[in-house]
Amino acid sequence: MALTEDPYTLISKWLHAKEFLVVGKGIARADALDKALGTAKFVEDYFQEGMLFVKQVLSTEPHAKILRVRDEEALKVPKVVKVFTARDIPGENQVGYALPDQPLIAEGKVRYHGELVALVAAEDIDAALRAAELVKVDYDPLPYVLDPLEALERKDVLVHEEVGSNIAFRTKVRKGNVEEGFSEADVIVENEYRTHHQDHVYLETEGALAIPGLDGRLTVVTAAQYPHLAQSIIARVLGVPASSIKVVVPFMGGGFGGKDDEGPLTAAKAALVAHLTGRPAFILYTREESLRMHPKREATIIKYKSGATKDGKLTAIDVKIIHDTGAYANRGPFILWRATVHASGPYEVPHARVEGYCVYTNKVYQGSFRGFGNPSVQFAAEMQMNELARKLGMDPVEFRLKNMLRPGSRTITNQLLEESVGIAEAVEKLAEKVNWAKRRAECESFKGRYRRGIGIGVAWHGISTSRGVPDWSNAYVKIDKDGSVSMFTGIVEMGQGSPNSSHRQIVAEILGAPLEKVKVVFGTSDAPDAGATHASRGTSIGAIGVLVAAARVRERLNKLAAELLGCKPEDVEIKNGVVRAKGTGKELSWDELIKQAYARGVDLSATGYFFLPKGKFNDELGQGQAYPAFSYVAMIAEVEVDTWTGKVRVLRIWPALAAGRIINPQQVEGQIEGAAVQGMGYVLMEQFVFDNKGRILNADLTDYVVPTTLDIPEIEKPVYVEDLFKYGPFGAKGVGEMALIPAPAAIAGAVSHALGKPITKLPLTPEAVYFELRKGGST
Amino acid sequence: MFYRIPEINYFRASTLEEALELISKLENVKVLAGGSDLLIDLKIRRYEVKNVVDISGIKELSYIEDRGDHVAIGAATKLQDIVESPIIATKAPVLAEAVNEMASWQVRNVATIGGNLCNASPAADTAPPLLVLNARLRLVSLEGEREVPITEFFLGPRKTVLRKGELLKEIVVPYERGAGASFIKLGRRNAFTLSVVAVATLVKVRNGIFDDVRVALNSVAPKPVRAVSVEKFLKSREVSMSAIEEGAKRVLQDISPISDVRASADYRKEMSVILTKESLLRSLERAGVKL
Repeated sequence: MALTEDPYTLISKWLHAKEFLVVGKGIARADALDKALGTAKFVEDYFQEGMLFVKQVLSTEPHAKILRVRDEEALKVPKVVKVFTARDIPGENQVGYALPDQPLIAEGKVRYHGELVALVAAEDIDAALRAAELVKVDYDPLPYVLDPLEALERKDVLVHEEVGSNIAFRTKVRKGNVEEGFSEADVIVENEYRTHHQDHVYLETEGALAIPGLDGRLTVVTAAQYPHLAQSIIARVLGVPASSIKVVVPFMGGGFGGKDDEGPLTAAKAALVAHLTGRPAFILYTREESLRMHPKREATIIKYKSGATKDGKLTAIDVKIIHDTGAYANRGPFILWRATVHASGPYEVPHARVEGYCVYTNKVYQGSFRGFGNPSVQFAAEMQMNELARKLGMDPVEFRLKNMLRPGSRTITNQLLEESVGIAEAVEKLAEKVNWAKRRAECESFKGRYRRGIGIGVAWHGISTSRGVPDWSNAYVKIDKDGSVSMFTGIVEMGQGSPNSSHRQIVAEILGAPLEKVKVVFGTSDAPDAGATHASRGTSIGAIGVLVAAARVRERLNKLAAELLGCKPEDVEIKNGVVRAKGTGKELSWDELIKQAYARGVDLSATGYFFLPKGKFNDELGQGQAYPAFSYVAMIAEVEVDTWTGKVRVLRIWPALAAGRIINPQQVEGQIEGAAVQGMGYVLMEQFVFDNKGRILNADLTDYVVPTTLDIPEIEKPVYVEDLFKYGPFGAKGVGEMALIPAPAAIAGAVSHALGKPITKLPLTPEAVYFELRKGGST
Repeated sequence: MFYRIPEINYFRASTLEEALELISKLENVKVLAGGSDLLIDLKIRRYEVKNVVDISGIKELSYIEDRGDHVAIGAATKLQDIVESPIIATKAPVLAEAVNEMASWQVRNVATIGGNLCNASPAADTAPPLLVLNARLRLVSLEGEREVPITEFFLGPRKTVLRKGELLKEIVVPYERGAGASFIKLGRRNAFTLSVVAVATLVKVRNGIFDDVRVALNSVAPKPVRAVSVEKFLKSREVSMSAIEEGAKRVLQDISPISDVRASADYRKEMSVILTKESLLRSLERAGVKL
């Protein structure tokens, strides 16, 4: 057999492995002990007295010209070094991700209450805080617009004049002929849904420490989800080559997408001050700043019409999605794309029309958040499915299964799904586990003060970037003379665990090296660019490079071992540090093998670049390949509603996942539990209250309420259907976001079942449920 | 937005005497007991404060004592001590019920009962149980001591009858024999949250007649209040579901809620009625009365 280092061959070879040493097992993560003992270090832990402290001055206007930033009083404060504004930026003051519409520091005008206007650097924290209060900004207030529907119509109040309207971006999907589809329908359901902002509330707020000159470069230690993106944004803002910037991301106290957007900007702020002063500079957001400034989950208005025949087949959907993107587009266009192509839910629909609008308003802007535009649209799609089932007199699960995507199905963008579509099996198994029909009937027997309801949410989530947007993976693996293995990746460790669990397992599995000899160096721009740690890709796309790099080294080790043991390379077996020739009884140790490799000139280092093959998507026609594959998830939730107070208690959650190979079930359960709870918080209690100037009134954790342990329901063991994806490492498709996506649909569906009323608006606070119950007569 | 604690002079008193001297002498002074409210208030500049006197180290202000016909609680007693006290559990269980739902274990180990009362938040959760228990507050200054009923202690948001140089020293909770009492809090989640509405009730029943009824609420008026209209309506009336429902509706005459980020005034009104009813039913059950 010819040895190969071709990535496709290597991915396929390991995809079809029959037995595993560590993959698929609940291996404890490498950082477990450090986290438990509190010795794991985060950005803030690297701050030392003597470094400059950076404090932000934020806009107090929703929309206004900046006439002057007056820093005279601030500069009189002892130990204040300087006040920086847009004018001080040596490179480009442009940090928009999807569109070039966003400055790092407001220039000319501010577009939301809370926007960064100036940075104050001082010798110590107290001086910086005091000086920041003394920076006075003269504003010339402009008319502003807060409501996205109003913003769509207005031409006289423009958040970005150069655009000519408040529409930042449009999307569309077209399939078949919707008029024809609705004419074939026996039942039609039409509703308008509204979902709201959500904050990430990571335990660690945004922070960065920039140290000039270390290692001959400007090193920035920061909490960002993509070190290479932070590196390029810093380079752009400073006007220097990316190679002169090094970004290191230590342990991170949660990201959830928020630090994908705000992380690089935080890093750029510290870097700017360090670059201009030549001194180490440290910035750390207060919780209040974090809540006011950083991008939120999008607020949406979704108008949804769908039709089905009396035997329960969907005929058409017509969907209009409006995202309130706030002051900047940020990743809004990508978020809108994801919502648009997922608008049908994981169902076959012959005729579809979906239109999306990303609309500017003078509020805090929207951004990446676990689910990325999908939870809101899956909520709308699933509420539609419930209503259609009700009108048809069908069981909601049965109705869903009749329409569910299966291998060979075509999506609403006309993408053919050839394989890796395990959702129908997952839903069937889940319904059986829950005893759906019986439990549903039992819920309906609760007639008193406390009513019960059960709901299901089924969702899909395209893996990788949407449409043809390039996506790739990479990593660097090397084995040192003592047999210890290092793997370098740009994937970060933000609590999700992929570098310290699944990456380590993949390397150990493929090399056959003992797990304790494998060290993962994560979150550094000195590693090959593996893409961001977002979009559930840490263990999927992000780990393909890990697999390829390790597999390349393994091929070389097999060849060497075959020579040493006198067998064929394919008969070499390496398990837990012992190298054997299958069926011969001949063996040598791992350490010996590595020693021989160094002695005989075998290269024990490799990178694992892989460029994900993608189809074409035609934006004009709204058709084509949307994603290389989809991950699928289902969730059933049972709730109890106190009809006296409107308070909803989630009693139990049952998840199911068709996300390809489960590399570490322990980590996957952790992701599912966390996502389910974050989703529950979103549905039941989290919301921002804005005043009439677009200012957030509850920018603190007293009044922005997230779940505590006492709010968390029983979360059952997941049902897994391992529908392998051919390019995923061992077939893994990605898990991180998944359980949040169906949570709104499952929980709201359960509340709707309990109340006997459709739900179209989130959140379901006690107050909202109480008044909903009494609207139009009680049930 | 302010996050910096303004410069203050910090004094740490080690005896009550020393604390009283400091607070009588110093201008613009605030007392720091646990600091869980005060430090945030300093950061958001709720008060213009020059001097802070820390009383958290004064051991003589931290105690829970059974004195035969009443329970005495030192003002600097930590909330968690109240939750864990066998004396409170048997002599004033409704207070423990309320405090157990306050904040988190960590904060309850810092925050004090006196601090919760003197901060005079309309949402103070120790107030409704103490209001229905007819607690008395012993206020002390260099001039001497006086005792005020808790019903007269609160004047409005963050305002009490405490005079310059005066400190809350002790909370006196009289025994209530043959009573049933309960506390119900509605918040936005199950723990560590401010009340949207909280209600405490206490009932005594003799021969099927309400002998005594006390109802108190927080978060629905500028200060924690007793619902006297409910009490007046029910007292001497025969215990029945219709009387309770009718009585609970009277709570609207005793409250004046506002809309804020936590809830609307309308919702608070509806919940005041519902929770008053629920709490009365629970208190009756605890008094051994069957409807």
